[in-house]
Amino acid sequence: MSTDESINLKQDRRQWLKTSATVLGASLLPLPAAAQTGTAPAAPQAKPGETKSTARFFTPAQHTLVEELSETIIPADSHSGGAKAAKVADYIEQVLRETTDDNQKTLWREGLRLIDLMSQHYNGKSFVDSSSEERIAVLTVLSDNDHMTDLPEVRFFRDLKGLTVRGYYTSRIGIHDELEYKGNRMLTEFVGCDDPTPKSR
Amino acid sequence: MADQEINLTKTYDAVVIGSGAAGGMAAHVLTSRGLKVLMLEAGKKLPIEKELRSMQWPYDNPTRGALPPDRHSLTFNEYTIRRPPYGPGFEKSKHLHSYVGSTDYVKNIVVDERENPFTGTNYAWVRARCLGGKTNIWGRLALRLSDYDFKAKSRDGYGEDWPISYSDLAPYYDKVDLYLGITGVKENLPYLPDSIFQRPTKLNCAEVTLKQGVQKMGRVLTQYRAGVTTDGLKHNQYRSRCFGRGACERKGGCDIHAAFDSPTGLIYPAADTGNLTLRTNAVVREVTVDPQTGKASGVHFIDSETMKDYTVRAKVVIVAASTLESARLLLLSKSRQHPNGLANSSGHVGHNFCEHIMGPGVTGQAKDLVGKPSTLDDGRPGGFYLTRFHNLTEKHPKFIRGYGFEGGSGARMFPEGADRHGFGASFKEEVRKNQGSYVSMGAFGEVLARYENYVDLDPVVKDKWGIPALRFHYKFGDNEHRMAEDMKETAQEMFEAAGFNIVHVNSRILTEGWSIHELGTARMGSDPKTSVLNQFQQSHDVKNLFVVDGSAFVNASCQNPTWTIMALCWRSCDYLADELGKGNL
Repeated sequence: MSTDESINLKQDRRQWLKTSATVLGASLLPLPAAAQTGTAPAAPQAKPGETKSTARFFTPAQHTLVEELSETIIPADSHSGGAKAAKVADYIEQVLRETTDDNQKTLWREGLRLIDLMSQHYNGKSFVDSSSEERIAVLTVLSDNDHMTDLPEVRFFRDLKGLTVRGYYTSRIGIHDELEYKGNRMLTEFVGCDDPTPKSR
Repeated sequence: MADQEINLTKTYDAVVIGSGAAGGMAAHVLTSRGLKVLMLEAGKKLPIEKELRSMQWPYDNPTRGALPPDRHSLTFNEYTIRRPPYGPGFEKSKHLHSYVGSTDYVKNIVVDERENPFTGTNYAWVRARCLGGKTNIWGRLALRLSDYDFKAKSRDGYGEDWPISYSDLAPYYDKVDLYLGITGVKENLPYLPDSIFQRPTKLNCAEVTLKQGVQKMGRVLTQYRAGVTTDGLKHNQYRSRCFGRGACERKGGCDIHAAFDSPTGLIYPAADTGNLTLRTNAVVREVTVDPQTGKASGVHFIDSETMKDYTVRAKVVIVAASTLESARLLLLSKSRQHPNGLANSSGHVGHNFCEHIMGPGVTGQAKDLVGKPSTLDDGRPGGFYLTRFHNLTEKHPKFIRGYGFEGGSGARMFPEGADRHGFGASFKEEVRKNQGSYVSMGAFGEVLARYENYVDLDPVVKDKWGIPALRFHYKFGDNEHRMAEDMKETAQEMFEAAGFNIVHVNSRILTEGWSIHELGTARMGSDPKTSVLNQFQQSHDVKNLFVVDGSAFVNASCQNPTWTIMALCWRSCDYLADELGKGNL
């Protein structure tokens, strides 16, 4: 899709939300509407206080989806490995498993489902089954509209991107292969730049 | 160095409350003069190298360096919206920290806000309760003040002059330089005197470009003057010289102690004299007073873990608990002779509270560095300091006093620019290509000392140990707001002069307190009616009481306070030892 004719997310989402009767809930409404209902949907897999930090947050299918999402955000290229090689999905799994923020957990469970709904709408298949161009198309809709923070899928995308970036650039691959970071070692002398300016004194 | 058991039957020559820059310096000077000193620290002695882990790679840390999930550190918005910031809504995090406590490396150094509440106006109050206090994590910028600061009233008519001149303090700045080590470059500036510098580190290329750009405007950019020993200190076995490992970038301290911290720089050497007794976990709740003479007789403290109450006696009491905690302690120490709190016949304790305003600044890019191979830019104690330029030779029409900028440039472990829009192959490539090209700087400006800006005791709220909490009545004023406007304009104009692409101009003023440079709550002066301390930080009211931390400052200057705190303290403790020897205390 071209940037000069970017998708109207708020109009489109009515269409793709219709495609699934099973996922309708307050959480899918824009934020002010959700606030009016006064009820946050219960997390499907765990209730607050029952979550053991050792229990996996993602199902195997969700884990695969997160791997592909993070790889779409930071892909492997000729220079270095991408988010998948850097095991960013494992990092995100850990963050979500350990967080005390139930809203974040809920956002991720819903976000992963909304991504597949969007993928069905735009590509006619799940995100994981889509080609890399098709995956990029879905995330472009969210990235182009990333100011619409009242929409849960947008908030999900922002959190997904933030955690992917953090997970990737704090990994071995991110620091050493990708950025070729030179510091964090003993130096005899900082090289710096020679200053051609005459002394001011 | 292990804690020693206190001898409760003994009268120490001096009890020092606090173990940060001021308390450490008091212990160093007084023990070297042969005095028997008891140091009380409210927090623990931490296994500091295990906390700091300066060279740990993020991927070797269980949370990649972030706070563990049961902890939360306050954000700008939370400080701004919530009052108090540690109020309802944070039940889920077991521990709540100030904004500084946002990494795994400082979580045990900064206090838990809930155990240490405060009330009143918004304030980002950063407290470190552990041996060494905030010196374990300070920014290390070590600047001298000048007569532009000490005699500021004589220059522009505002506030009060200090009861000392630069010439009184210069020999003590020299002593601090030589004893602790400082790196930098001589500039011969009248408003920012040079120190006795050890080996400097070079600027990197974008910083040299900026230096040349601002030089055309008559402004000065110099290497970050860091309280870091780059040549080593032969007299100190606890500190290594700097090896440019680059962890200085991370919020946290230096685990080889090339950067000054009070324990290795001052307290351990003081203990080696055999004259120092250290008691940690000692929360002082009151300075006691002899009912006959009205003089200080010692302190009451509570063991922070057992909650047991102790009383110790000393010939001299030295308060060095940090600007705000010292004011709190004086206000808590009410007695028949001192009904408004100790040393407070003037009513000025807690008042004239001042600091540095920060937030405005700029981020830019050096175009010629985009796409260049990765460089090593952070292997040094700091980037640059761009010195004050306003109200030196001419008078600014909109505000008095001045501000300087701290900044730096180049590649970092976590890439600047990773917050850019977009995703995918182009995002990744742009982050890589641009990572070494960013330059940024932020201003620190003088907040005027005003009587109306003050702290007092909250009548209701108490801390974990049952001690009344501090209540803030503190706001930036018009002069600060006008100065902040100017900061963002000059920041931008200087980056333009250097030929940088402007990426972002920050005009947002950060919450009061953000600079962690709080000062002035027990100011010095020659008039006991309008000041708390004399020029030797000795109480006008109570001859054997000294307050040797930042609370003694008469104004904030715009230059960072730690080196001045230590020089003043050294001078005062020399005087104290002389006077005690003469029987005058």
